[in-house]
Amino acid sequence: MISIVLFIPVLFGVISLIVKNKIVNRIALLGTAIVYILITIAQWLNIQWYILPNWLISYFQFDSIGIFFFSVMTIVFASVSVYSLFYFKAHNLNAKQESIYTIEILLFVTAMTGVILSTHLALLWVFVEATTLTSAILIYFEKKKSSLEAAWKYVFICSIGIALAFVGIILLSIGSRSINSLYFNDLYNRAAEINPFWLKVSFAFIFVGLGTKIGIAPIHAWLPDAHSEAPSPVSALLSGTLLNSALLGLIRVQEILIHAHLESFSNFLFLLTGFLSIMVSAVFMLRLKNYKRMLAYSSIENMGIIFIGISLGKFGVFAVMLHILAHSLSKASLFLTSGNILHLYKSKKIDDVNGLLKKDPRTGWLWIASTLAIIGMPPFPVFLSKFLIVKALWLSGLSWLAIPFFIFLIIITFGMGGTVFKMAFGEVSPEQPEDQRLGFSAYAPQLVLLFILLIIGINMPQQMFTLLNNAAGFFH
Amino acid sequence: MSNIIIILLGTSMLYVFAASRIEAYVKILALQGTLLFLLVVVDIKEINWLNIAFLIVETLIIKTIVIPYFLLKVIRKNEIGREIEPYISQFYSVLIASAIFMFGFVAAFWAAKTNAGIKPLYFGISIVLIVASLFLIVNRKRIITHILCYMMLENGIFLLSLSVANEMPMLVNIGVLLDLFVGIFLFVIFFNKIQEMYDGNHIDVLTELKD
Repeated sequence: MISIVLFIPVLFGVISLIVKNKIVNRIALLGTAIVYILITIAQWLNIQWYILPNWLISYFQFDSIGIFFFSVMTIVFASVSVYSLFYFKAHNLNAKQESIYTIEILLFVTAMTGVILSTHLALLWVFVEATTLTSAILIYFEKKKSSLEAAWKYVFICSIGIALAFVGIILLSIGSRSINSLYFNDLYNRAAEINPFWLKVSFAFIFVGLGTKIGIAPIHAWLPDAHSEAPSPVSALLSGTLLNSALLGLIRVQEILIHAHLESFSNFLFLLTGFLSIMVSAVFMLRLKNYKRMLAYSSIENMGIIFIGISLGKFGVFAVMLHILAHSLSKASLFLTSGNILHLYKSKKIDDVNGLLKKDPRTGWLWIASTLAIIGMPPFPVFLSKFLIVKALWLSGLSWLAIPFFIFLIIITFGMGGTVFKMAFGEVSPEQPEDQRLGFSAYAPQLVLLFILLIIGINMPQQMFTLLNNAAGFFH
Repeated sequence: MSNIIIILLGTSMLYVFAASRIEAYVKILALQGTLLFLLVVVDIKEINWLNIAFLIVETLIIKTIVIPYFLLKVIRKNEIGREIEPYISQFYSVLIASAIFMFGFVAAFWAAKTNAGIKPLYFGISIVLIVASLFLIVNRKRIITHILCYMMLENGIFLLSLSVANEMPMLVNIGVLLDLFVGIFLFVIFFNKIQEMYDGNHIDVLTELKD
């Protein structure tokens, strides 16, 4: 199972590298997506089989939280790969460009799968760095001056951050000499033996390192640039899955501190940076001129909310898992729709976009519905997860923090909602054609994502609840 | 013996603070690679030949020859001579460098007192390398200097990992090296593109994206 997950995308990537044929590229993308979906379903039904060589088997494993993150990634990746068909057509890519895109996406997904499945801290680090390297080329894919700047900032800032995380890993191995192993299970089981001082120092380093990848304030500088300059399907993948996979790394490290009973230290860091992120996002949300940057700041905000949830310990974990799922799906839907808007108006400026509902009603309604999903209007599940996080604030005796939390959220909702409605309504300028159709693959992925969100929000299936609960059960 | 090598490593970092020719930085990088190689050879205590072979390939071939040669070629091709005036002037940089060194030695003394089982001088100087290269990245303007200082940062991390006796599994070692290698390769690709697209190759030209 694990070998399939890791090798199929690479295999398809190699094929599309050799053949450089448009049909092969599409088969590679969609084929990998289908394989991933099948494996996710198999994991849900608890079907396991191992054909890994023995020396590899200890490094990779599906655990409860891994299955959850893998499922989220699969859903986003599948919708992105369908949307890519529209992206190929809309940008008139030649076979070679399509191949580069396909290979990079597949390698990127492999690296993220590696992060999710790693059972060894340093191996997780290797894969996190690999996600940076593989996605950097995707950010520069449109070969514009601004995308080059974004890609450079992204790859350099994240590499430095990740290098600091490696310093943290070495410091942890200083503190855990008696254990002499960086397997998560060994670290969890023998956490009491780790020297608390070194554990705290190493956590601070790993927090900064992985926090850079997660895009948490104040180390979020690369995130708005990279998300706004990448091709829209790639932005969806960055926001919906890349941030999550780095987050999973941090959750796994945080678990070591929980086992060593040092969580008060890490929780404080989570809470502080979480609130800082919502604040930064609220400050910028009102003055943005670029709608893709707006979505990027919204990602920072949601990562902040997730951090606050994590800091509340066992009260917040279920809400955190639900929020991760809901954020990934709604944000992927938003970014994919922003690709439609970019195609219709050829501009990322908010001022250039007017009367979206007249120009293309389907895109317009998807844009509005996805926005409602991300700002947490019922019945979408973000409402539920935010509600549960506020409840967790109450339960952990931090109820006064709910006041700034609500104030920032209201500012963000106001900023985002105002912008989106301004773009959706109004008149189309007379020289522009009305009621354009973009094709099936430009709408279907977002529809499916919103449909899944609605099902979760209105009546969560038992299977989904178990999945979330198992993932939340990872925390002790 | 190993102490002399480590002191030399620290001194090489001090030289970077004073120097302003970019080619000198590459030579320092190659020198650091050689010193790390010597350190590995002097320090060898283990019998596992696979690990030894890997370390020798990493330090001697990758860090001393391949990456410096690659970067030197890029510098010659783009005809980059000197570093442009940094944000904090050379004089104050050297002062800050001394402060970083002091901090490093304090860390070394402190590490000697704790029972963490780390080699004190390794620990102190590796902190010097890491902090100093981070400072240089923030202070210097040329993108190629950033890439070079990133390599020095990696050298510092390598030294830090030598200060700990614990070993990483081979798979992880190979992965780390591969990431480093691909990373440098990618940095240079982007550097060349920036050189083509912008006039000037320092970070002040990157101002397209802001809020």
